[in-house]
Amino acid sequence: MPSTLIEPTTKLPPSTHPFAEIIHRLERGGSMLPDTEENLMQIIGLYKAYAIPMDFYWRDLLYIAERVFLDPVPAFKYFLPKEYLELANHYAGDNADLRIWRGYATAHKELLEFIEKGELKARIPKLFHHFYHDRINMEFAEECMRAMFWHRNMGGLLEPYMDSAEYKQNADRAIRAYFRDNPIMLGLYKLFPDMFIEQCRQATMYSVLGLFWEVMCPVFLEMSDIYDEGGFKGVPDAMNFLVNGIFAIAGRPIYHRVYIRGEWYDIVPKSKGFTWLYEAAFPYVEAVFYRTSPFRGTKSYNAQAREVPDDQNDFHYGILYADKFPVASAGIPPTLLHQDMYHFLPQYLVDYYQKFCRGADDMLIQLGVSFQRSMYNVTSAVIQAGRAAFLYPLDDPNPRHLWANRYYFEGQLNRFANPKYGMNKAARILAIQSQDYR
Amino acid sequence: MLSTLIWLPIGGATIASFCSAKWARIVAILTSSAILFLHVLLLRQFNLGTGEFQFSENLPWLPNIGLNYTLGVDGLSLPLLVLNALLTWLVLCFDREVKERPRLFYVLILLIHAGLSGAFLALNTLLFLLFYEIELIPLYLVIAIWGSKQKNYAATKFLIFTAVSGILILAGFLGLAWVAPAPKPVFDYQSLRSLSLPVTAQIVLLLLLVAGFAIKAPFVPFHTWLPDTYVESATPVVMILGGVVAKMGTYGLFRFCVGLFPEAWSLLSPWFALWAGLGILYGAVTAIAQKDIKRMVAYSSIGHMSYVLLAAAAVTPLSLVGGIAQMVSHGLILALLFNLVGIIEKKVGTRELDVLNGLLNPLRGFPTVSALLILGGMASAGIPGMVGFIAEFLVFQGSFSKFPLPTLLAILGTGLTAVYFVILLNRTCFGKLDNKTAYYPKVLSSEKLPAFVLTTLIVFLGIQPHWLVTWSETTAQKISSRLPSNAIVQLINLQQQ
Amino acid sequence: MATIVDIAVSNPDFSTLVTAVSAANLVDALNSPGPFTVFAPVNKAFEKLPPGTITTLVQNIPQLTRILTYHVAAGRYTKNDLRGRESIPSLEGTPIDLYITAAEFEVNNATVIAADIEADNGIIHVIDTVILMRPHWFHPIMRWGKEGIKSEGVVV
Repeated sequence: MPSTLIEPTTKLPPSTHPFAEIIHRLERGGSMLPDTEENLMQIIGLYKAYAIPMDFYWRDLLYIAERVFLDPVPAFKYFLPKEYLELANHYAGDNADLRIWRGYATAHKELLEFIEKGELKARIPKLFHHFYHDRINMEFAEECMRAMFWHRNMGGLLEPYMDSAEYKQNADRAIRAYFRDNPIMLGLYKLFPDMFIEQCRQATMYSVLGLFWEVMCPVFLEMSDIYDEGGFKGVPDAMNFLVNGIFAIAGRPIYHRVYIRGEWYDIVPKSKGFTWLYEAAFPYVEAVFYRTSPFRGTKSYNAQAREVPDDQNDFHYGILYADKFPVASAGIPPTLLHQDMYHFLPQYLVDYYQKFCRGADDMLIQLGVSFQRSMYNVTSAVIQAGRAAFLYPLDDPNPRHLWANRYYFEGQLNRFANPKYGMNKAARILAIQSQDYR
Repeated sequence: MLSTLIWLPIGGATIASFCSAKWARIVAILTSSAILFLHVLLLRQFNLGTGEFQFSENLPWLPNIGLNYTLGVDGLSLPLLVLNALLTWLVLCFDREVKERPRLFYVLILLIHAGLSGAFLALNTLLFLLFYEIELIPLYLVIAIWGSKQKNYAATKFLIFTAVSGILILAGFLGLAWVAPAPKPVFDYQSLRSLSLPVTAQIVLLLLLVAGFAIKAPFVPFHTWLPDTYVESATPVVMILGGVVAKMGTYGLFRFCVGLFPEAWSLLSPWFALWAGLGILYGAVTAIAQKDIKRMVAYSSIGHMSYVLLAAAAVTPLSLVGGIAQMVSHGLILALLFNLVGIIEKKVGTRELDVLNGLLNPLRGFPTVSALLILGGMASAGIPGMVGFIAEFLVFQGSFSKFPLPTLLAILGTGLTAVYFVILLNRTCFGKLDNKTAYYPKVLSSEKLPAFVLTTLIVFLGIQPHWLVTWSETTAQKISSRLPSNAIVQLINLQQQ
Repeated sequence: MATIVDIAVSNPDFSTLVTAVSAANLVDALNSPGPFTVFAPVNKAFEKLPPGTITTLVQNIPQLTRILTYHVAAGRYTKNDLRGRESIPSLEGTPIDLYITAAEFEVNNATVIAADIEADNGIIHVIDTVILMRPHWFHPIMRWGKEGIKSEGVVV
């Protein structure tokens, strides 16, 4: 199974796929990202830099889903109360359900320090930090949530459930309780019930993404710790850690509940049996890594220009296809994510970036490219986990099984070789094969 | 005072040539700063009330042949002197592009500066020609030494064209001196101005001079040296070349053609105006066709110099002020554009319009340089709020009543200017950076400084044009008052028939 | 004869499965008249899963139930009954893919190591791997891989 590395299988003839070399690497149990020390350092450094803002993201996403809920003017939704900063992560610390990170369950210390002082290193009122964007930028997290919400047909049972009568009933109960003392909103709810239900579905998506990232945060932190201890020998090791993580957490429940006046209201109960892998991870990878949506100004939304596909299935604007160079241009939201990660880069990466391109001046782009590499590795882990879960071991003696594995890998990589809408040109899979892309 | 403006750079050049490269730079910076300071003093002491020459100096040199060391400054030469001082200062203080033989470079730039100042100041036609020819040698050298691939070809072409230009002008001056009804040949400007010559003689001599200066400016069809020379020259050199040297042609047009042959000029001016209008159109249309941004800017120069010809043809006080303003504005804008294009070429390694893309990118591109390029392009296209608009507007306003058709052609040309600048900006500044190739080194703030200085002036003079035109108003009045009125021109026309 | 649960309990190779079924409170259901077709993973199959997988599932009964119900189909189907079919719907809802020849009998990526074990309320096929629901994109991706890049796009 995935935890063991397999030597090259020579039973099949060489692949004729445009990315044959990468196919063969995947068949040897490797990652789409070449196994080099530089790559390993970059991706692990980025996992660490991503994990700490992510620690804020998941807490705030849950806070918005559970407490802010349908607040019509959620002006303070990014101001996380102490309660949620101290909320125990289920996968870190002594009382974890499954201890992935050997650290602690409450918010990361670097995060707390940053919330207090910000990049300005000044103890000024929170609001000033907020408006100066000297904070963890939740806008990016919400962009991901919206991508997951907007791209339908992502698989899993949650989506049909959100259209069921049962869901509407649960939502109705929560909405009535939430607006109990607010006749205006209740009146509006009477007039436009669907709008409120749709808002509730969005809150559910907040919860889904929050629960998804609650797992990824300790996974990345643990990877960073293992790397610091010298535990990873190469990129495939890092990928296999992720594969094992995916399996271990696959059954984690996905739910949505709202806390109103001291009482929990289940909107998506745990008892529905929704799981992390099927209802959160797969939709997340599809919606965020592959699809999302083009940023305004980068593509013409004019239907006649035919730059944006008319079929959502053909959307290809996720991190795997992203042009990182315009980061920091107006209207490119991942800039905020890059800004968030920039605050928590490990020193070895800061030193590393200083040596290339424009050093400190374009670090946001350099780390963006490393981030892209690291996400190609995560996607590789998802592909390998899928192969392990639904197909066959890499050393399976049955050639028919090996062919199935190959079709699977080639089918996955076809997504980066598709000439439709120039997806093959947009995909950065060939770029990341070289260390010169930075 | 005026002599200092000529001899100080020569002295500086002499000292610099004996120093080490490092000290030569310091000497060059000190000299050019001192020169700039002197020009500020000159501006302060300049009397706006008179159109006559001021600070005149007169030393007999070779009185036998009429060559006297006569200097003077008026509202026509003053703005050009200041422009010359400013651009020389910018080039010497901030240029870091010249790495090879820097000492020689500083010396030559100072000598060019001296030659240009001398030409602008000379009030003796022979003395003018002397300076006019002298600065050719250092110019040839700076093009040939620090140019790009085809520098020798370009430098030689430049030398041949300008030498021919010099010969034509010499022929004109000598002819003028001999035709003059005086016991000895006359080269003194003031004396020449008071002569009255037969119109036919005036026309012949005028055409000689116009041809000579048209090569220098240059006007179509004498422009073929310009694209090669501008494109092959190093950035600081082309800033001086396009910014000031070319202005000698238009200066000569104003000073000697309009100034010395008023009747002939009036007679031929409708043709000159038409020539200018066509030149503007030609420059714009050829610029649109270019695929190389430096060449594009070079061609833009051909059109823009023709505005000065249009202004000269009209000879109304307003158009003359506009013409002088256009020389300065064009000098500033062209220097800015060449400076920015030079930065882009140096960092990206290409000037190809089809290769350049997305330079406005905030982290990996050159946002400031691109922004300034947009501003420079707008200024060149005559967008209000910048000095280009002021100059062009004055020219059009001054010439429309006299030559409506050529003025309309010129206005059309201005519209086309916007076309090629939009092409240039759209291709270079907008779009995406190529992920494979776009790892350009960053632009240091010291490299941006000259562009900032020029931009500040372009915007400031665009908002406060008084500071630009006030110097030349009285002089323009005086030049245009010396021209015969329309009635007399018609009379001459009749006589000719 | 014995019920499905009885057979499972009597065989030590199914001890993990039995523990899981009782944790998920599925014993009564599998003792009911049914009939069911159960694809029963042996202990070794569970051991193949990376560490943590079982822990998480045991902590979350509804999720465990869902995985287990994926191993059950309504009706009584022997290998011969299933021949010629590409899949059968599971109780979980997601279809279970079948590959059956004279010599081979595979469900999803698991091989049936003992087929057609009769019980009172159904039939048991013993499998060597825990099967997991194949997501909706799985078959289009496989098809695309098989047909090659020339066929543009994949409807996921």
